[in-house]
Amino acid sequence: MSTTHAKPLDLLQGTLDLLILKTLALGPLHGWGISQRIQQMSASVLRVNQGSLYPALHRLEAAGWIDAEWGSTEANRQAKFYTLTRSGQKRLRAETDEWERMTVAVTRVLQTQS
Amino acid sequence: MWTRLRHFGRAVVHRQTVTREVDVEVRFHIEMETEKYIREGMLPDAARKRASRIFGPMDKHHADIRDAHGITWADDFWQDIKYGARTLVKHKGYAVLAVLTLGLGIGANTAIFSVINGVLLKPLPYDHADRLVLVQQSAPLSGQATVGVAIAEYFDYRAQAEVFDGLVEYHQMNFDLINRGEPDRVNTGVVSANFFDLLGIRPLIGRSFVASDDQHGSEPVLLLSHTYWRTKFGGDPNIVGQVFEMNDRPHRVIGVLPNVPHYPQENDVYMPVLSCPFRAAAERTIPQNRRAFAALSVFGRLKPGVTSEGAASAVATINQRFTADHAGVYRTATSGFQATTIDVQQALTAGARDLLLILLGITGLVLLIACANVANLTLARMLGRDRELAVRAAIGAGRARLVRQLLTESALLSLAGGAVGLVFAVATVGMLTTFVGRFTQRTGEVSIDLPVLVFTLGVSLVTGILFGILPALGTRVDLVLALKQGSNQAGSGSTRRRVQGALIVAQVAVSVVLLVGAGLLVTSFYRLQRVETGYRADGVLSAQIYGNFSRYGNVSALRRLYFPILERLEGQPGVISAAITNAVPLAGSAPGTTRFDIEGRVTDDPDRRPAADVRVASPKYFDTIGIPVAGGRVFSDLDSEETQPVVVINRSMARYWDGSDPVGSKISLDRGQRWLTVVGIVGDVRQFGLAQETVAQIYLPLAQSPTNIAGQVLVRTYGPPEGFAQLLRDTVHAVDPNQPVEAVQTMDDLRAEALAAPRLTATLLAVFAGLALLVTLAGIGGVIATSVTQRTREFGLRMALGASRSTVMGMVLAQGLTLVAIGLAVGIAGAVAGGRVLSVYLYQTAPADPLVIAAVVAAFLLSATIACLGPARRATTVDPLVALRAD
Repeated sequence: MSTTHAKPLDLLQGTLDLLILKTLALGPLHGWGISQRIQQMSASVLRVNQGSLYPALHRLEAAGWIDAEWGSTEANRQAKFYTLTRSGQKRLRAETDEWERMTVAVTRVLQTQS
Repeated sequence: MWTRLRHFGRAVVHRQTVTREVDVEVRFHIEMETEKYIREGMLPDAARKRASRIFGPMDKHHADIRDAHGITWADDFWQDIKYGARTLVKHKGYAVLAVLTLGLGIGANTAIFSVINGVLLKPLPYDHADRLVLVQQSAPLSGQATVGVAIAEYFDYRAQAEVFDGLVEYHQMNFDLINRGEPDRVNTGVVSANFFDLLGIRPLIGRSFVASDDQHGSEPVLLLSHTYWRTKFGGDPNIVGQVFEMNDRPHRVIGVLPNVPHYPQENDVYMPVLSCPFRAAAERTIPQNRRAFAALSVFGRLKPGVTSEGAASAVATINQRFTADHAGVYRTATSGFQATTIDVQQALTAGARDLLLILLGITGLVLLIACANVANLTLARMLGRDRELAVRAAIGAGRARLVRQLLTESALLSLAGGAVGLVFAVATVGMLTTFVGRFTQRTGEVSIDLPVLVFTLGVSLVTGILFGILPALGTRVDLVLALKQGSNQAGSGSTRRRVQGALIVAQVAVSVVLLVGAGLLVTSFYRLQRVETGYRADGVLSAQIYGNFSRYGNVSALRRLYFPILERLEGQPGVISAAITNAVPLAGSAPGTTRFDIEGRVTDDPDRRPAADVRVASPKYFDTIGIPVAGGRVFSDLDSEETQPVVVINRSMARYWDGSDPVGSKISLDRGQRWLTVVGIVGDVRQFGLAQETVAQIYLPLAQSPTNIAGQVLVRTYGPPEGFAQLLRDTVHAVDPNQPVEAVQTMDDLRAEALAAPRLTATLLAVFAGLALLVTLAGIGGVIATSVTQRTREFGLRMALGASRSTVMGMVLAQGLTLVAIGLAVGIAGAVAGGRVLSVYLYQTAPADPLVIAAVVAAFLLSATIACLGPARRATTVDPLVALRAD
């Protein structure tokens, strides 16, 4: 669809989607919360590029994997909360499997003694 | 998929809302981030700046989100449309001209296509219409393209052909239907009992014919057509069971047909074959006359899986079998008598197919000219847009994007043109349908329906692309050049001028083809209109008085009807003379070929005997209709059954006497049983059509005619003959109150009727050619005008250097006329090559008539010169100083 960022982002895109879905599996969250939680969970190793977060959320929403609803934070401020949908859960499982197969394979290649 | 679409739709439709939501969401994000930095110990201002910087620019963010929804494309499209519409509104003159030009082109095509769709493309509204075939007999060696099927022949086909699911017969009769004492002449379809079952037509009310209706001794029954039932009986639901008198017998109505087109002809009522007294009488004579009642149409439905070729060969085989069994009747060696089958749908539309395709070709050409013209207009306008496009390219529009913008504009124009065209088509399709109705009966289903609308939409879009692509591809924008220079000298001017020139040449060529075609048809029509008919049509009223056979069973009974009518008519004030014949000229009859012998030159070779068309005439016939007497005398009241049998012949017939005077010699129509004396020679008459050469004709006096005739009365009057219609009816009814008087019309009407089809064809083509010429001239004028504007500086320079006004003017004219000359050459070559398709529609006019071509060339050169004069004069008014200082 979009050819404007056919650059490094595309490589990251799959990972970002996976991480967003995983984060939402733990419960509904707004955009900023998602970026913070990914950072926390990865012990600050991964940092979400904030410019690509919202496009990714909109994309996932358009695909029907997450739902969005306006709600209030604890501090009583308006924010858009995202929830994982049923098809999003399926998608998460599939992407997780794929990721694991991928990392196992990549690791195996890297560990091969030359 | 559905979720995706919903989001897409929301993103497109509720753009504003979505954008606002994204803003709120992002602001929230940045605030949270800022607070986080503050908590980490940063100063609020620095924290806010950092949060914003990490987030990145908002615009790009919105764009990315729109991309995520996949709506950039739709956005651009919408933007193109808005921008395009704005541009077109700004250039109203251009837009209106383009839309009208395209509207005419698309409208003409839509109108023709709707007729083609209704006549040629729609399947016939009958069951398995694609399997319906007509048995077609012909005798090519005797010059007869079709020979009606005789009863005995039909029986043979029906009994022996195994390829049909059913084979039915049809013929049409005119009978008097006496309805509560009022006689009404009705067109009666006489059909096999399974006729309607075969076509799959079920009656609206009542029942259809069944086999028992067609057995000796069964009660005569009738089916009414929908139209007849509605017009004569107001759609009375209790019509079934009513009894009318027909042929002196009671006939019971058993049903009403639904509102479907009739095949092979429209009829008021239908009856089973045994109810037709003529056919019944003829059937009894089959043992003596194998070809009795050779007037049937026979058609059938092929069994599933049988091919048309299979059916044709089966029918041909049966035909060969019976012609061999009755060799003396058919004389195949000299007549070439044979049979085949043809597709019913094809048979129905054969007369109109070529004409429609020619018309479609012509309107296609008109549309092409319109396309070329709008392309040219667009190209001319592009000159002024180079700068605009360059600016748009400079601020980041890709070439594809610019091309798309231009194509969107042309699509907008052509769709608007399509809408105008549709209005045009709706307005003209009725007239066109009536016109085509002269060539095929199948026009009842012509309408502007869904397939037609789809056609119009398709043509509009293709048109838009066709005229849009050329200017759009010309947008090789040279940024630097275009921005640096003024618009007048911008860009790829010379390529563009060449393309414009080529378009003009093409337009001229196509217009010439159309103009020559129109010129040929108009010339042919003019000649046809001036054909010497051989009689004086003005001031004569005609009417059919077909004596009903049950009351006037033989010719002497008929004479007791006709002669008193003539006598009374001639006694009426205002009537100059009155006559009876059996066929009024140009009333649509075909020539008969009756063999005869000339006394003293009798030959036994049946195929070398001379043949003539035989007519019957009362004494005043030649006076009434104004046929001049060339020798001898015409009939008088003294010629009777008791006196010597006489004939009058026409000039064509007199040629059989090789220069010697036929008057006084004798001929026989019955192999010498009765000899008829030739008493006079009259002029030739265009009896069978204005374009039909006259044939040898023999006139028998009504008083001596041995056979029944279907009489037509002719009345020559003082003053307009139309006013005598009621007098004519009253006079006939005074002799026999139950005698119908039909088809009352003037001889002038008949002649106009004979000219109507060629007149319409010529008018239609002339209108199209005229449109093409106008559009082309506008194109030439426009192109020359732009070229003059472009060359302002050049002309200024030339005039500063001493070129005279006439030199400059000559240069401009030469530029225009060179294009026209090339176009004329190409067009004439095309017209000469393509003129042959018109040859069937031409009367005494060669498809490459040099006079017509010369006239077209002269007219074109003259009008093109006039079109170029305006711009040429403008070129001479260029002030050298102003021109040189320009820019």
